[in-house]
Amino acid sequence: MEVLQLIVNGLMAGTILAVPAIGLTAIFAVLRFTNFALASHMTIGAFAGFVANVTFGLPAVAALGFAFVIAGLVGVLSDEFVLKPFRRAGFITTAIGSIALTIALENIVRFIFGNQLRGYDLPILRDWNIHGIRVSPQQVENFVVAVIVMAALFAFLSFTRVGKSMRAVADNPMLAAIKGINANVVARLVSFVAMGLAGLGGMLIGLDTTIDPLIGFKTILQIFAAAVVGGLGSIPGAVVGALVVGVGEELSLLVLTPAYRTAVGFIAILVVLTFRPRGILGQRAY
Amino acid sequence: MGLLTATGVVAGYGAADEILKGVDLRVEPGEIVGIIGPNGAGKSTLLKAIAGLLKPKAGAIALNNADITGREPRDISRMGLAYVPQEHNIFPSMSVRENLEMGGYVDPKGAKARIDGVLGRFPVLANKRRHAARTLSGGERQMLAMAMALMVEPAVLLLDEPSAGLSPVAAEVLFNAIIQINKEGVSIAMVEQNANEALAISHRAYILVDGKNSRTGPAQALAQDPEIRRIFLGG
Ligand SMILES: Nc1ncnc2c1ncn2[C@@H]1O[C@H](COP(=O)(O)OP(=O)(O)OP(=O)(O)O)[C@@H](O)[C@H]1O
Ligand SMILES: [Mg+2]
Repeated sequence: MEVLQLIVNGLMAGTILAVPAIGLTAIFAVLRFTNFALASHMTIGAFAGFVANVTFGLPAVAALGFAFVIAGLVGVLSDEFVLKPFRRAGFITTAIGSIALTIALENIVRFIFGNQLRGYDLPILRDWNIHGIRVSPQQVENFVVAVIVMAALFAFLSFTRVGKSMRAVADNPMLAAIKGINANVVARLVSFVAMGLAGLGGMLIGLDTTIDPLIGFKTILQIFAAAVVGGLGSIPGAVVGALVVGVGEELSLLVLTPAYRTAVGFIAILVVLTFRPRGILGQRAY
Repeated sequence: MGLLTATGVVAGYGAADEILKGVDLRVEPGEIVGIIGPNGAGKSTLLKAIAGLLKPKAGAIALNNADITGREPRDISRMGLAYVPQEHNIFPSMSVRENLEMGGYVDPKGAKARIDGVLGRFPVLANKRRHAARTLSGGERQMLAMAMALMVEPAVLLLDEPSAGLSPVAAEVLFNAIIQINKEGVSIAMVEQNANEALAISHRAYILVDGKNSRTGPAQALAQDPEIRRIFLGG
């Protein structure tokens, strides 16, 4: 029964992890670098949601929308003014630039909100007990939100002209330019959507625990592991990778003390890069 | 003035900015114009310059008497010129149908009807419209690349080695499609490695050597020229 409980916990956590992991992989698919500034955008989303929820008194679900939009807008601006000029210098330079950016943004959040732990304004509900498996209603709500958001994203990429143009740029940027797709517009769109997902993911994680300016920094390794394990650049891969990392971390509790659970991300990256260098689903964008 | 004219085009890449050293090309309405020449002569570079992917350093390019020198690919595409690159000319992870939609991206109005029209022309693609383009055979990919170009109902179609890597049967099917498209009023400029085939289906041809025009004339006359036979046609 304990194993089953851990798997359920892992699937819930993995589904939430998948949201920002999709963001990381989508940016890689279109802009061809790993944007570690995703970490601070998670933090920004979590705090934007905090303001909406605690200061303005909006319900958590509405605050999630706020988290998405604010983190997405900051993502567009930070890419336009900070990271875009780096891109000409190549992958490594841009990735390092994104680390510098994330430290700067995180400290802005710290300057405004301070270092203390904060919690969202949530109704206190008792855990559900389903055949011996315990889940909190908040966890289930977060899970449902994550699934709906991912379904909406897949629909957007599959059925809308804009979504398809984003996939086209990820697939073959030169041909996309020949066909008249504006790469700059697509770059801004992917920054908005991906960092919006990061912000939403940051708040989802915070809803389950507490938030502080390090919330993004503490999870970026898991997210990076999820994206790499699934195949950097592949959106379904990010989902699969996030579930692998989420369940793997929970199951590691059977043999490791909780302090070592983050090692699972590292081990997953090592194992996958050794045996399947392109990740579980390869580098197909979609 | 022809439908498409390039005069004295000088273009290249970065430091090697004079791969083309002043090239002329003209395509009249209704023509198939062949472009042949040795590897590295600058054939693909010429098509890229015309399509707007490379900004010419000197020279002029006009489409339908409008200057298109140095304009963006999407503007040139809107003005009625479609370009099929030599390689990487499809979106591999997108379906055949989605590839066609992207082919007509600049002109989304009436895309549905145009997709049906294009699929009617290429029944193999119609049968695989939901398949990811990466699963197509080499011949089918070239068909798809051409079909995508037709989605903008171009006046001029630029094809870069459409038969490269195809079996003789697949190449035959493709050349027939090209002739058919031309008969329906689309002018075509086509780079071809297979000089025999190129001269057989072209009205006129250009021979490029080392970034310069070498010979030009009616395709039939060039095909019978002893010197050209010796160099390009294997005797
Ligand atoms: N992206 C590039 N950057 C720098 N040089 C290039 C690039 N593409 C082509 N070249 C150079 O430009 C010259 C002409 O190349 P181009 O591709 O136009 O030749 P081509 O006539 O199409 O040859 P092929 O028959 O092999 O396709 C070659 O010397 C090539 O090395
Ligand atoms: Mg070439």
